[in-house]
Amino acid sequence: MIQTSVVPTQPGPPDGPGRSSVPVPVPSGRLRVLLVEDDDADAFLVRELLDEANAAVDLTVATTLGDARAKVGGVDCVLLDLGLPDAQGLDGMRRLLEVARGAAVCVLTGLGDDHLGVAAVAEGAQDYLIKGQVDGVLLARSVRYAVERKRADENARRLYEVELQQQESARLERGLLPKPLLRTSDVRVDTFYQPGRRAQLGGDFFDVVQTADDRLAMMVGDVCGHGVDEAALGVELRVAWRALTLAGVHDDAVLPAIEQVLISERESQEVFATLATVTVDLASGEAAVRLAGHPPPLLLAGGDASVVPATHGAVLGVFEHAERPASHVQLAGPDWSLLMYTDGLIEGRTGNGDRRLDVTGLRALITSRQGRAVARGDLAAWLVARAEEANDGPLADDVAMLILSRARGGR
Amino acid sequence: MELSLATRSVSDHVVLEIGGEIDVYTAPRLRERLIELVGAGEKQVVVDLGRVDFLDSTGLGVLVGAHRRLRASDGALSLVCPHERLLKIFRITGLDSVFEIHRSVEDATTGGSAKTARTGA
Repeated sequence: MIQTSVVPTQPGPPDGPGRSSVPVPVPSGRLRVLLVEDDDADAFLVRELLDEANAAVDLTVATTLGDARAKVGGVDCVLLDLGLPDAQGLDGMRRLLEVARGAAVCVLTGLGDDHLGVAAVAEGAQDYLIKGQVDGVLLARSVRYAVERKRADENARRLYEVELQQQESARLERGLLPKPLLRTSDVRVDTFYQPGRRAQLGGDFFDVVQTADDRLAMMVGDVCGHGVDEAALGVELRVAWRALTLAGVHDDAVLPAIEQVLISERESQEVFATLATVTVDLASGEAAVRLAGHPPPLLLAGGDASVVPATHGAVLGVFEHAERPASHVQLAGPDWSLLMYTDGLIEGRTGNGDRRLDVTGLRALITSRQGRAVARGDLAAWLVARAEEANDGPLADDVAMLILSRARGGR
Repeated sequence: MELSLATRSVSDHVVLEIGGEIDVYTAPRLRERLIELVGAGEKQVVVDLGRVDFLDSTGLGVLVGAHRRLRASDGALSLVCPHERLLKIFRITGLDSVFEIHRSVEDATTGGSAKTARTGA
């Protein structure tokens, strides 16, 4: 008699960006079945039963567990006898499952060995059959159900992994892209982040901290590479920067300390990071810009967008004792904004050969008639939309932006 | 996302000619190739970026890693980069002072004086 099994409906892919959760398809054609059975008569019987039922299976026979381990690659379902010359009981199944993670397993037990079948199912087999109590139709159906159940289990497992990944990304994203610590209403900060084309989290990060009534510190950075490790390192650098800034460490000492954190925490010597920091004296409008291999901010004022003339300092993590002197810029007038960004924004294509948007293209967008009409709070999203338009699709890299503006007066 | 890699010997240098885009997707292949060259005992490696259309930060990381590996084995990595577009990336990142950057393979392999690392600013 057959242990009947309810076939679970196959879970579909999740809504949203669960891209790696493409369900494993159930094979619609012939199934490859490996019969592991040392008794010739029993093996003959199984073959007869399947033939009699016209089952769409290709049967291969192995007579020992060693033989089965060698033949199991690419097999959809294993019919496994639990009494083999080189393996007894569930041990044989465990050793087979080690090398046959994708195959469904249907265990064959003797009459009165029900408990072994139940134990086998508990350990990962999809079904069990009692020898001598199976007819061809039931055997064929049991094989197909076992395969379908295995696929359903596999899909559920993948779905779960994607969920875990998404939770992990969400946690990292919170760490990379914090809420600005701002209490003044003299200025406003707009932040923007968008993951890259493959929805993977990159190493972009930013932060804004008000350190005194009239002092503000902000930064944008990028850890080279795109993965969970880079994102985690980005979180560390961001938090290190915030801690150093809140502790009132002198600006000149912050970047060297961040660099030490990077060097001591990174996994490979290849990893480096770029960073741009700006400290603003809100009373005088004077801003100090420091660059570590990062593109300088743009100053948006009077309908123009100019690159802040700041000294290029080296990336973090490559040199010893690199100099990164501060450059000063005056934020004056009724309508200035300071735009800090990561290079994902300007590396998109422009439909003109290999040309990329670049800073030139970015400035042209901002100063275009359309660009000048965009409200400040919408500017970052508008720029990314234009960059994607020019790129003829989503940008490959992630994009982070930070826009500091005077609270009143619009551009 | 195409990347082509070809090596040839010029005097005592090995020249790795790269074509296409060096980005997060292609950088692993470049890394592998450079590690092979260092592993094979090459000391003077010239990376020719003349036909590279695009270089992102992951690609820069690979070049920095190769530079370190070669220096550790008493070798040297130099770059050939005739295009302003790529030179600008090296300037922004400050990496122009890490790498020896030449205008042509000939300059790089003859130890010519046409070092351009900091002249294009």
